[in-house]
Amino acid sequence: MPTIEIEGNKFEFDGDGFLTTPAIWNEEVAGLIARYDGIEELTDQHWAIINIIRRNYEEKGMAPMIRHICKETGLKLRQIYELFPLGPARGACRVAGLPKPDGCV
Amino acid sequence: MKEANEKIRKGLEVLGSGEDSKLLSHLNACVRCGLCAKSCIYYLSMKDEKLIPASKVDIVASVYRRYFTFTGRQLPGLVKARDLDDKTVTEMVDLLFGSCTVCGRCVKHCSIGVDIEYVVRKGREMLSVMGYVPSTLQSTVRSALNTGNNMAISHGDFVDTLEWMEEELQDEVDDPEARIPMDEKGKKVMYTLNPREPKFFPISISAMAKVFYAAGESWTLSTRMYDVTNYAYFSCHPDEAAVISRRMYDEVNTLEAGMLVLAECGHGVRSNRWESPNYIKKQFGFEVLSSVELMAKYIREGRIRTDRGALKEKVTLHDPCNLVRGGGIFKDQRYILKQCAEDFVEMTPYGTDNFCCGGGGGQLAMSEYNERRMRIAEIKAEQIRKSGAKVVAAPCHNCIDQLSQINFTYKLNVKVKTLAEIVADSLII
Ligand code: SF4
Ligand code: SF4
Repeated sequence: MPTIEIEGNKFEFDGDGFLTTPAIWNEEVAGLIARYDGIEELTDQHWAIINIIRRNYEEKGMAPMIRHICKETGLKLRQIYELFPLGPARGACRVAGLPKPDGCV
Repeated sequence: MKEANEKIRKGLEVLGSGEDSKLLSHLNACVRCGLCAKSCIYYLSMKDEKLIPASKVDIVASVYRRYFTFTGRQLPGLVKARDLDDKTVTEMVDLLFGSCTVCGRCVKHCSIGVDIEYVVRKGREMLSVMGYVPSTLQSTVRSALNTGNNMAISHGDFVDTLEWMEEELQDEVDDPEARIPMDEKGKKVMYTLNPREPKFFPISISAMAKVFYAAGESWTLSTRMYDVTNYAYFSCHPDEAAVISRRMYDEVNTLEAGMLVLAECGHGVRSNRWESPNYIKKQFGFEVLSSVELMAKYIREGRIRTDRGALKEKVTLHDPCNLVRGGGIFKDQRYILKQCAEDFVEMTPYGTDNFCCGGGGGQLAMSEYNERRMRIAEIKAEQIRKSGAKVVAAPCHNCIDQLSQINFTYKLNVKVKTLAEIVADSLII
């Protein structure tokens, strides 16, 4: 398991760069992972997405459908891909501290 | 101890007792010429001798010698025969699951035609029946077995997403009657999806629906069994693969569809079309086509019209191993691109000699080997960079995900698209 140092803080990630222990996630961690992915500043729109992903994960144990994210935030599909260039799974879910979803992502 | 012996017995059973003559000849044929080395993305990017395709054959062969040959039984050291013990199993997992995308490129380059891919798959099958499939891959298989799709999408969420995409389609074609039909019986086509489409990337759903709309096709999606993937094809567990295959076969019959159309998914096409009849020991009474073939047919027959200048940027094409090298579908995707794009350029090499994207063979699902997966991807990154293309078309959702990660990691600055998206954007309606 690689440990990645982001700005002096050490984090354990699985091979895919998802947090090994989702429980250690907090807002600061989100900001650090995002910066690692080239997102300088997490805006309100980013946070709206992250919060929905977190809520779904806490309630159902998995990432929400993109449908759900669009509906709740009122954002268009295209905007979500622009906000998280690595996509909803490898981008947004990772910043939100979820484990890697199964399947072709 | 008893349990360990039982595991070994199961594993060895896969090797048979020398009755599988195909396996036997491929296990014994290698002459160690080393020619296959340069065909393998793992060896090429890491230059480690144990990654040569022949070594992957040899580890399976050495176990075979140990239990099924006279000298191997009596004097294992003499013929480099190996016990199927923990050490061997660990090495097998690392080589056969962790260091092979089962892309089959080496098979094309082997001087005497050793079917390395077949042996790797047999080795995986041994590990699979012994319970040693990497946990992340097995979890994807389990989701499919337990929920009917590999991302555990609920029925309600799926239907909701299709309704949403139907609205998008209606807006797009400006026709409130445009539809994404669900569970309708007696249609000509039953279409399928990769679960990553409804879950995270639904644009390709409305894109393909737009193509069906333009073609005036009689089609439906099943909301019960739509998952085109079969990850047990990668874990190589024959019984689990058969369960998944059979569901698809049954659903086509339940919906009384005339034709099963497989979404852009390399292994999905290969497993459903060519492997499934072997898994379930049945010939299909219906036609099976990939959506790539179907779209090409629509254009050829004039059922849809495309604007040849719709895609202006330079575009290149990635050939998914299972679709092209393994499935022989080569011309149709090129024909389609030439009907939609001004400037199409091949990668070097391409077609049956193309390099794997690095995400095949279940690699994309196995976080355990992610670091390697991105290292071997450098070859694909260079191929794309050298093509000078701004758009990479890939008729496989699995490849698309790997290519998107390559795009980000190697800063290629390209757009990665499915063929359905490209065709949908070029349609003249
Ligand atoms: S199938 Fe592909 S990845 Fe596996 S050994 Fe052969 S060339 Fe290498
Ligand atoms: S090319 Fe064929 S014969 Fe030569 S080492 Fe590789 S597997 Fe063996």
